[in-house]
Order: sequence, then structure tokens, then C-alpha cells
Amino acid sequence: MTEKKLLIALAGNANVGKSVIFNHLTGLHQHIGNWPGKTVERAEGTLYFKGYTIDIVDLPGIYSLSTYSLEELVSRKYIAVERPDMVINVIDASVLERNLFFTLQLMELETPMVIALNQMDIAKSKGVQVNIKKLEHLLGVPVMPTVAVKGVGIDKLLEKAIETVEKKQARKKPQVTYGEEVEQKIGKLMEKLENIQIVYPRRYVAIKLLEGDEDIEREIKRVNPEILAVAKELAGEIECIHGHCCSTVMTSERYEAAGCIARASQQLVSPIKPTRVERLHNFTTHRVTGYLTLILSLLLIFYSIFTFGDYTSTLLSDLLYGLEPFFTSVFGTGLIGAIVWGGIMEGLIAGVTVVLPYIVPFYLILYFLENSGYLSRIAFLMDNFMHKIGLHGKAFIPMMLGFGCNVPACLGCRIMETQRERLLAAFAVTLVPCAATTVIILGLVGNYLGVQWALALYLFNFLIIFVLGRIAFKVVPGEPTALMMEMHDYRWPHMKTILKETWFRVAEFIKIAFPLIIVGSLALKIADVAGLLQPIASVLSPVTVVWLGLPAITGITLIFGVLRKELSLVMLAALLGTTNFAVVLTPVQMIVFTLVAMLYIPCIATIAALVRSFGWKKSLYITVFEIVFAILVGGIALRLLSLVM
Amino acid sequence: MEKQNPNRPEVPLTALKPGESGIVTVIRGGPARHGRRRHGRFHGSLSHGITKDVVFEKRLMDMGLTPGTKVTVVRVAPFHGPFEIFVRGSRLALGRGMAERIFVEIET
Repeated sequence: MTEKKLLIALAGNANVGKSVIFNHLTGLHQHIGNWPGKTVERAEGTLYFKGYTIDIVDLPGIYSLSTYSLEELVSRKYIAVERPDMVINVIDASVLERNLFFTLQLMELETPMVIALNQMDIAKSKGVQVNIKKLEHLLGVPVMPTVAVKGVGIDKLLEKAIETVEKKQARKKPQVTYGEEVEQKIGKLMEKLENIQIVYPRRYVAIKLLEGDEDIEREIKRVNPEILAVAKELAGEIECIHGHCCSTVMTSERYEAAGCIARASQQLVSPIKPTRVERLHNFTTHRVTGYLTLILSLLLIFYSIFTFGDYTSTLLSDLLYGLEPFFTSVFGTGLIGAIVWGGIMEGLIAGVTVVLPYIVPFYLILYFLENSGYLSRIAFLMDNFMHKIGLHGKAFIPMMLGFGCNVPACLGCRIMETQRERLLAAFAVTLVPCAATTVIILGLVGNYLGVQWALALYLFNFLIIFVLGRIAFKVVPGEPTALMMEMHDYRWPHMKTILKETWFRVAEFIKIAFPLIIVGSLALKIADVAGLLQPIASVLSPVTVVWLGLPAITGITLIFGVLRKELSLVMLAALLGTTNFAVVLTPVQMIVFTLVAMLYIPCIATIAALVRSFGWKKSLYITVFEIVFAILVGGIALRLLSLVM
Repeated sequence: MEKQNPNRPEVPLTALKPGESGIVTVIRGGPARHGRRRHGRFHGSLSHGITKDVVFEKRLMDMGLTPGTKVTVVRVAPFHGPFEIFVRGSRLALGRGMAERIFVEIET
């Protein structure tokens, strides 16, 4: 028997449980990458079912198949060009109308499809009952009910999908019938398109031309620009009749069709009364209780992560440093031993003691909040604050992540809609004091000068984020976008999906950060062994000693801080030969050192994350700017503080 | 589908109080707010020089805010914050800048 292969794509709105279904289907056989040349994520997996090897692609969660976002463009091209054998359209039974709007567009692409009517349980608790037979009949597409978080209906869904592929049953088409005058124009355009070769279905091309879809227009322009002119004219006629632009008219009609199908196939059984989920929503978005909940949950999250992180980090590093005698016995204490242990292993340890104690719990909590729906409430509440630096509410989420570690925070900036906003958010994020910076602030200033000074430094840092964020927002060309997102109902998230998402993020972190941390650590060790550290310190002394008023040795420790910020403190102790900093540093020096360490550079892993998202040039600008800025601020602080202290 | 009623004036969505509803009449790709500069094209996802206003109009449409649709303002976040609206059976958060561009006829 030859191998039977199938390619299935999952498509649907955001937050409908698509990734949960994806996880059910593919288990651990999955792979997350990017779409070629795009910053859009692509999740793929394989499963074996009834003699088939099935490749599954999870398309991004989107609301439409127009081309106004990369996600939409990627999804549409994928369906039209790669032609998967089957598209499983996952829809949320509790928000039928909006989901069907997307379904209707998928149908216009004339792809074989099956609908997974998901979140049947939530719909039920909201008092929405969907008549599946009726929905199936109205759409002319098989509809399978599922409750993905409980794994209900997944096998049947897959069976149905395969059955549909095997039968190759043709669907009734066309699906959305537009108003008479629109249909007439579609017909005219389709005649014109008779002999044109294009990957999209003819009717779809006609519809998109009327809507003025730039991507399709470009393709048609290449073959026959005349058609474009005809389409423009026809669209103009529709505009005259309706008084709205043609794409508005068509979107309206498509939504009307979706609404009709939704109303005809669903029944609202109970009167709409506030459910528990509803009450929770009201409480967490309320002008008083909402902010209180937000502040309390953030404090709780950070407190528990830092407590847990500090504890496990110490434990882990003690454990790993316990390996040192073993390494010295194998590699000796000579040059090779020093490089293997002090370079490679210490770099590795530095990485491991960040990832396990801090990054893993952070991602777990983040995905829990995201899948439960709380993140969107946070974005809602923080929108007006983020506007002060020209960003909208969603940008608060990477900022929040930044307090744990800047690396996932920079990568997390891809939730912003435009490249400009991603850059602005990432810039702000690199200024957020991460866990390692917190170690320095608390370990040096907090310990020796008191908590009030540590708090003052934090406040100063926020002020800087605010001021620089605002300046960046004015300087970088372009306009701010406003917040627009769906706030889906609260729900209990699917733990396995959270675990998997965390696992993939952690793997990504390791891939980005570890090589650089290890190479950096190795390079420093080699410089150390070669006796280059002292010369470097003296080269830097005009800055460190003259301008910043610090001991010359800090030049070296600040370089080590690039690997991992708190290393600058650890190295300071090592090089000064004492952990009692009060003996070797004056209070002003402590503050200046902390200030510089806080601001001077995103660590090497953060730079790698920046490069990955924005390329070398912009990352270099940010890095250089922050070094210069930190030194400037440090020097000014020295002169001001010397007056009062 | 969308007839102008002289008795029910068009107002921006931001004029509605929580609990009030309106019917969308039009989405204006209005001027830049607060006198912000507007040079430069839309950066990022949308490569091919569609101006931003068009993009946002379309995005709002795709989220279901087409002319003739009923919109209910559920809540407004404090300190001049975003709007929570209920439209087509789902809940949306809309930044103020976005809400200002949506014009509605107040439903009584």
C-alpha cells in the first residue's frame, strides 16, 4: 500500500480554541517556525490516522481574509496556493455571527472544508443552542460539534474531514448571494476573467476586484490591466447606488448573510442574565475593582516568580557549580580547564539559572492569563496609560513580561499590529528593569542605602521609560494605532496547550539566547586568560573613573553585565575581593553604578531577540543609544548627587 | 439599509453613555487626532501603501461594524480610556481614537 498523505489546514478567528484542537491532533509532533520571509508564526504538526499521514498547519487566528494584515495575507495565500486537501474551520459556537463571517469568506475561496463548532459548552452556558443540522444545511458544509478543551468530538471531526476528502463531494456554490446589483457586477467581471489564469477561484477574484483588494489587483494588472479599469467602474456604480464604498457594501452584505445563518440556526434558550463569567468580567474591568485586581494580581505574580526564581536559581547554581571539581579533574586547572569551565560551562550555567527559575514560570503564567482571557482585560485597563507613550493597551503585556526578562518581552512585541509599534514597544521594553536588574538594585542600593533609594531608582526608571518612550514615539515616523480587540468570555484554559506553548517559547529562548551567552562568556574568559581585562579597564577609565567617578574595575564588570546583568554585581564582588560593598563604594558610587547597570544596554540575549525581530541596524541603534544614554545619566547623577550626599 | 433620519442626528460613538445603543451610519477616516503629525505611510504589515485610514475602516468593518449595525456601549474605561462595546454578539475593546471615527444614530 502506498503511503496516503493529507494536508489539512486549521483556520478560524483568534481565541476559538484552534490551537487546542491543533494540540489534540498533533500531540508533540509539532514544529513552530515562521512563514518564509515573514514575521508571522507558522505551527505545523503531523499525525497518523486510519492509514493516513496527515500534516496539519495551524493558520494564524484572524477575523477576515482581506489583506490588511500579514496574518490574513499569509492565510489566504496558503489556502489558495498550497491548496490543502481540507480546511478545518474552527468556529466559536457562542459568537456564531462573527465566526460565520469568516466562514463565508473561506467558502468563497472554494476550498474543501469541515466546520468544527467549538466551545459548545460555553455557548450552552450562555443560553445559546445551535441547531447543527440546520447550520449544516444552510452552509452546505459538514459541521461537527466539539469541546476542544475536554477533547470532545476531535476524533469524529477528523473522521469527518477524511470522509469528506475521500468522497470529494462538491459543495453547493456560490455561498453568499449578494444583492442583485452586486451579483450582476460579479457576473460581468467573471465573464471578463474567463481566460485569465490565476490561483484564486474566478468568482473570488471578481468579488475581490470589486472590493479593491490590492493584492488581487496587482495580480490581475500583470495579465490584463483593462479588467482593472472595468472593475473600478463597476465598483463606482455600486457606490453610487448605496452611497457607501463598494467594499463596505460587500462586507455589510456578507455580515448580513452571516447574521441570517446565525439567527436561523441558533436558539437563545434562557433569558440573558449575568452569568458567573459575566460577573467576573464586570468585576475585573470595573473602574475601581478592575484596577485593584490588576495591581494585586501583578504584585502576586511578580512576588511569587521572584521568590520562586531566587530560590531555584540559587539551588540550581549551587548544584551546577558542584560540578566544578569534576571538570577540573578532567580538564585540569590550566588554560583548557579555565576555558572549558570558566568559559563554556559558566555561560551555560548563567543561561540555565535564568531559564528554569524565571522564564518557565513566567511563560506559564502568561499563557494562563492569555488563554483565560485576562490579558485582554489588562490591555483594556492599561490602554489610556500606554497611550501616553503612543502605544495602545496591548503593549502593556510585553512591558509586563519585561520585568521578568527582556528577551521574551521583546519577542512578545509581535502582538502589536504594525512594525512601527513593535519597534516602539520593544524599545520601551529594553528599558524595563528585568529580574537581573532588580537583583542589582536590591542587592546594592536596597541593601546598603535602604529600600527608599531602591524605590526611587525604580520610579526614576519609569520616568525614563515614559520620557524616552514619548520621544521615540514622536521621532519614529508614522501614526499611532488605536486599540481594537475582541474580549472573549473568561474560560478555564486548557493546561496541556499552555504547557506546550510554554515549552515552545522556552525552546525559542534557548535557541536565541544560549549560543550568544556561551560565546560571550567564552570570549570574556579568553580575554581574562590573555590578561586583557586590566588594559580594557584602563582604556575605559576616562568614562568609568573620570566621568562616572567609579573604580576602574567597574569597566570590566559592566562588560560582564552584557552577558547577564547581575553578573556585573557578582563580578564586582569578585574583583574587589569583598561582598561588603560599603567598604569599597561610596553611596553615590553605588547609585551611579546601579543607574548605569540599569540603563546601559539590553543584555546580549535581548540584543539577539531585537536582531531577530528588527534586524541588525535598528538593534544597534537601540544598543548604542542606551549605552551613551546610561553613561550620560550616570555622570549627571554623580554631579547632582555629590551636591546633596 | 442605511437611511438618514433627520430626527436622529449622527453622533460619534464616544458621545454614547454606557448602556446606550446606536446604529452605525458611517466610519470616518477622520483627521489626525490632537494635531499629531501625519506624514509617512502606514508602516508594517501593510506593505502596499494603503493609507492607514482605509485600513482601519476596513478592519472595523471586518469586526462587524458595518453601516446599519447596532452597537451598544457597555463601559468606558476611566481616565479617558477605551470603550467596551457589544456588537454582533461579541464584546470588543475599542481605543478612543477608533471610537471617535464611528458615527451612529442614537437608538431610543
